[in-house]
Amino acid sequence: MSESTTWKEVLADRIPDELGREVDIFATQIELRKQDKIDDTVFAETRLRRGVYGQRYDNGKRFDGSNTQVLEFPSGDLVKGPDTVWDAPGMQRIKIPFGGLTADQLDVLAELAEEYSDCILHVTTRQDVQLHYVHIDDTPDLMYRLASVGITTREACGNTVRNVTACPLSGVCRTETFDVTPYARACSKFLLGHNDAQDFGRKFKIAFSGCEHEACGLANMHDIGAIAVTRSVNGAEKRGFRFYVGGGLGAVPHQAKLFEDFLPEEELLPVSQAISRVFARLGEKRNRARARLKFLIARLGLEEFKRLVTEERKVMPDDPEWTAYLSDLHAYDEKPLKIAQPLNGAVVAGGFEEWTRTNVYRQRQDGYAVVTVTLPLGDLTSDQTRALAELSRRFVNDTIRATVEQNIVLRWVSEADLPELYNALVEIGLNEPGAGTIADVTACPGTDTCKLGIASSRGLAAELRWRLAEKGVEMDAAVEGLRIKISGCFNSCGQHHVADLGFYGISRKVSGYTVPHFQVVLGGQWTGNAASFGLAMGAVPSKRIPDVVARISESYIEGREEEESFQDYIRRIGKVQVKRMLDDLTEVPPYEIDSSFYMDWGDSRVFTTGDMGKGECAGEVVPLVQFELSSCEREAFEAQVQLDNGHYESAYKQAYSAMVHAAKALVKSQFLDVPEDPDTIVSEFRTRIVDTGLLHDNPVTRGKFANYLFHAHRRNVDAYSEDLAHRFIEETQLFIEAAYACYGRMNVVSS
Amino acid sequence: MNAYRIQIKFYLERGQDIAPETWFRVFNTWIPVTTDEVLVDVADYSHVHDGPVTLLVGHEANYSIDRSDGRTGLLYDRKQASNGSFPDRLKAAFVSALKACRRLETDPILAGSASFRLDDVLFVLNDRLLAPNSVETLVAVRPDLEQVLAKLYNGAGFDIEHDSDPGRRFALRIRSGCRASVALSLRRFDAIS
Repeated sequence: MSESTTWKEVLADRIPDELGREVDIFATQIELRKQDKIDDTVFAETRLRRGVYGQRYDNGKRFDGSNTQVLEFPSGDLVKGPDTVWDAPGMQRIKIPFGGLTADQLDVLAELAEEYSDCILHVTTRQDVQLHYVHIDDTPDLMYRLASVGITTREACGNTVRNVTACPLSGVCRTETFDVTPYARACSKFLLGHNDAQDFGRKFKIAFSGCEHEACGLANMHDIGAIAVTRSVNGAEKRGFRFYVGGGLGAVPHQAKLFEDFLPEEELLPVSQAISRVFARLGEKRNRARARLKFLIARLGLEEFKRLVTEERKVMPDDPEWTAYLSDLHAYDEKPLKIAQPLNGAVVAGGFEEWTRTNVYRQRQDGYAVVTVTLPLGDLTSDQTRALAELSRRFVNDTIRATVEQNIVLRWVSEADLPELYNALVEIGLNEPGAGTIADVTACPGTDTCKLGIASSRGLAAELRWRLAEKGVEMDAAVEGLRIKISGCFNSCGQHHVADLGFYGISRKVSGYTVPHFQVVLGGQWTGNAASFGLAMGAVPSKRIPDVVARISESYIEGREEEESFQDYIRRIGKVQVKRMLDDLTEVPPYEIDSSFYMDWGDSRVFTTGDMGKGECAGEVVPLVQFELSSCEREAFEAQVQLDNGHYESAYKQAYSAMVHAAKALVKSQFLDVPEDPDTIVSEFRTRIVDTGLLHDNPVTRGKFANYLFHAHRRNVDAYSEDLAHRFIEETQLFIEAAYACYGRMNVVSS
Repeated sequence: MNAYRIQIKFYLERGQDIAPETWFRVFNTWIPVTTDEVLVDVADYSHVHDGPVTLLVGHEANYSIDRSDGRTGLLYDRKQASNGSFPDRLKAAFVSALKACRRLETDPILAGSASFRLDDVLFVLNDRLLAPNSVETLVAVRPDLEQVLAKLYNGAGFDIEHDSDPGRRFALRIRSGCRASVALSLRRFDAIS
C-alpha cells in the first residue's frame, strides 16, 4: 500500500527534470493563489499557459430551463481567474506536437481520463487532446503523470505558441515533398517557453505541411504556415519551406500571406523567432479582438512586416539550437513493427471493404498502410484508448497520430494485417467507416463545455453524423467527399470557414424567445492547405440544418456541370440562388406549434444565451515584466518553504535567485536580450534602473532596496544560518515589492 | 486505506431501452432541486461505444448511465473526500448510489420504467496511487467492504471477484443471491424511513 506517497515521488525516476520542475512551479502557484498571494488575473494567465482552461458555468451560474441558478461550490469566494470559481470543473488541454503519440502515452491519457475526468478523451481540431470536468487541484498530479511519458501541457492555452501541428501523413504520404515531422518537432521544442514568445497579445499557431495541394497541414490558416519545398542549388537538392504568415480563422478570417517563396531549412527557427519578437513588440495588446498576428500584418503591410522581421533576424544573438537538429533529421524516423506484406486475398469480415475504401491509405512505402480510426465527434473512451494502445503494440511501432479532423491514425500497418486489425477495431467499437467523408463531421465543443458557445455544435454534428452515416454506401460520390465543419460561435474553432458546408452558431429573437440558429457558410476549400474561405449565406434555425445539408447536397448532385467542384458550383449559382433555395427553411414556427425549435440539439432546456461567459481563448494580457515578477514571488515563497524545512542554504540561494530575477525582469523592459548570468544582470540593473533613479521615488528609501541585491551579489557566505536565510528572505520580499512599484512607475511614464 | 474516489455501479433490471435523451432530461431536472450536493451539468456521450452514455457532472460526485462494461447501469463516482474513516466513506458511497437509483426508480419522467438490481455490483477504487490494483489493496479493503455488503444483503451470502489486470483500476465484481429492492436496502442503511 502506498498511502503516504505522491505521484511525483512514485514517478520521480521517469519525470524529466525540466518537466518536473515546471509542474512544481505550477503546484506552488496554485498554493499561492489559495493564499491570495498571487493576483487572480496573473494566475488565470498562469494556469492557461499550463493548459488549465475554464469551462461553461465556471462563473458559478447555470440556466436550468426557466431560471439562472447559482451553483454553490464549497470554495466560496476563491477564484482561479476573474469571475471564475475555483471549484468549477474545467478543461485540461494537452499539447500533442504534430499529433504524435506512443502506446505508453495513450495508456496514461486513458488513466487520467478515468481518474480526473469523465472517461472521455477528446481529440481537437489542432491535434491536442482535451479532458473535461477536471478539478484544478488534480492538475499537478495529472501533469506529473503526463511528464512521466514525456508530455507537457505547457503553453497549451494562453497567449503563447500553441500546439505545432503537421500533416498526419508526414513521412508516409505519397505526394509530399519531404517529411516535415522533424521540423515540426524542432519548432515546437525551440519555441516552447522561449523568452521571445512570452509577451504576445494573443495566441500564435504554427502548422507544417508536406505538400501544397492537400489539406492536411492547413498552412494557409495559421500565423505561420510552412509548406515543404525543395530547390536545386549548385546541382544539389536543398530543402526549405514556402513560408506563409498571418493566416487565421476566428471571426474575421485572413488568408495567410506568402512571406518567403523559399525559406531555407536553416532559417526556419531563427525567422520564426524573429517573427515572435516583432509580434511581441508591436502586436496589439489592449484590443483583444485585433491582437492576432494577422491584424499586425494588415496594419503594417506585408512588406514593412518583412522588413522588420529581417532587421530583427540580423540583430538576434546566434543560437546553436537554430540548426542543431538538422544534423540528425532522421533521429526519430519511424520503423515498422512488421514486414511489409500485401493483403493477398485473405478472407475478410463484413464491412471490411467499405472501411478499407474510406479509412485505409496506402503509404508511399509498398506494403504499408495508414489506418484512420474514426472517432465520433473526436471522442473515445478510456477503455477504447487503452485497447488502441494495445493494438498499436500489436500492429505498429508507436506510430500513432491525432489528426486535425479529430481522428487517430495508425501508420505503418502491414497490409496483410488489415483484416485482423479491422476485426480488433470492431471489438472495441472503433471500426466506423467514412473517414474524410461528409459523414466525418468536425465540431468544436460549442455549448457543451465552451463558455463562448452560442449553439450546440456537437449536438448538430451528432445529428448530422447519424443521418449521413445512415446513407452510407448509397451516398452519391459527388457529395461523399465534401466536408462539414461546425463551430458553436463565430470564433471558428470548428474551422467552418474552410469546409464545403460550414456552420457557426448564432441566435435570433423570435416572439420574445431566443432561438438557436446556425449561419450557413458554403464553398470553403479544405484542400490546398485551406486554400479559400466560404461565404456566409444566411441564418437558419438549428433544427433545420439537416434539411439545409440535404437540400444543398441534392442541388449539387442535380445541378453540377460534369466534374464541377462544389466551390465552383456554389460560386456559379451565386448567393442569391442559394438564399432562395434556403428561404423557407429560415422560418421558425410559433413556440406553441413546435417548441422543439426553441431547444438546441442534445439539450432538453429551453434555449438561452445566458450561460455564455467570458471566453479564455484570448487569455489574460499580463505584461511580461509583471509575469516575471510574479514568478519571483513564487521563488521567494519556495525559499520560505525551504527555510521552514530547515534547508537554510537552499532557502538563501532560492531567495537570491528570486532577487536577481526581479532585477532581470526590470532590465528586460529596456533590454530584451539581457543574458542569464547574474554579473551582467546586476550591472545592467545598476546602470539602467538604479543610476537612472527609476527604482526609487522616495528619498528615505533611496538606494536601500537596491543595496540588498548589491550586497548579496558581493557576499561570500561561509555558513548559512537560519537567521541569515530568514533575514535575506525578508529583504528579497522588500526588493520584489520595490520592483513592482518601480514597474508601476515605469508604466505610468510610458503610457 | 485513504482512498476516497469510490465508484459503485448498480445495473438496470428494467429500463435498458430508455433513450439517452430521456436520461438527459431526467438528470437536467435534478440540477435545480438538489441541495445537499452541487450538480453542475449534463453531458451526452451516447455517440461513443460502451462509455458513459449520459453523465450528470457534480462537484462532489458524478452520476452516469454507464455502459463502460457493456451493461447499462447507474454509476456513482465519488470525486471529493467525504467525512470520516474509510468505512464511513464506503457506506456513504453505497448509500448515495442507492439513493440515486431510488430517485430514478421514482422519477416522474421515467414513470416507473426503470428499476435496479442489487445482486450484481461493480465496485471500483478510482485511484491508482492510493489503491493500486493489487492483492494488498484487496486485503486492505475487504473487511470494511464486507461489513457494508453484509448490510446491503441483510446477511445473505455474496461473492467478491477481483479483476487483477494490472493496467486497470482496482475493481471488484460483487454477486449475491439476495434480490432485495433498492428501497428496502436504503431502509437497512437507515437512509430512508
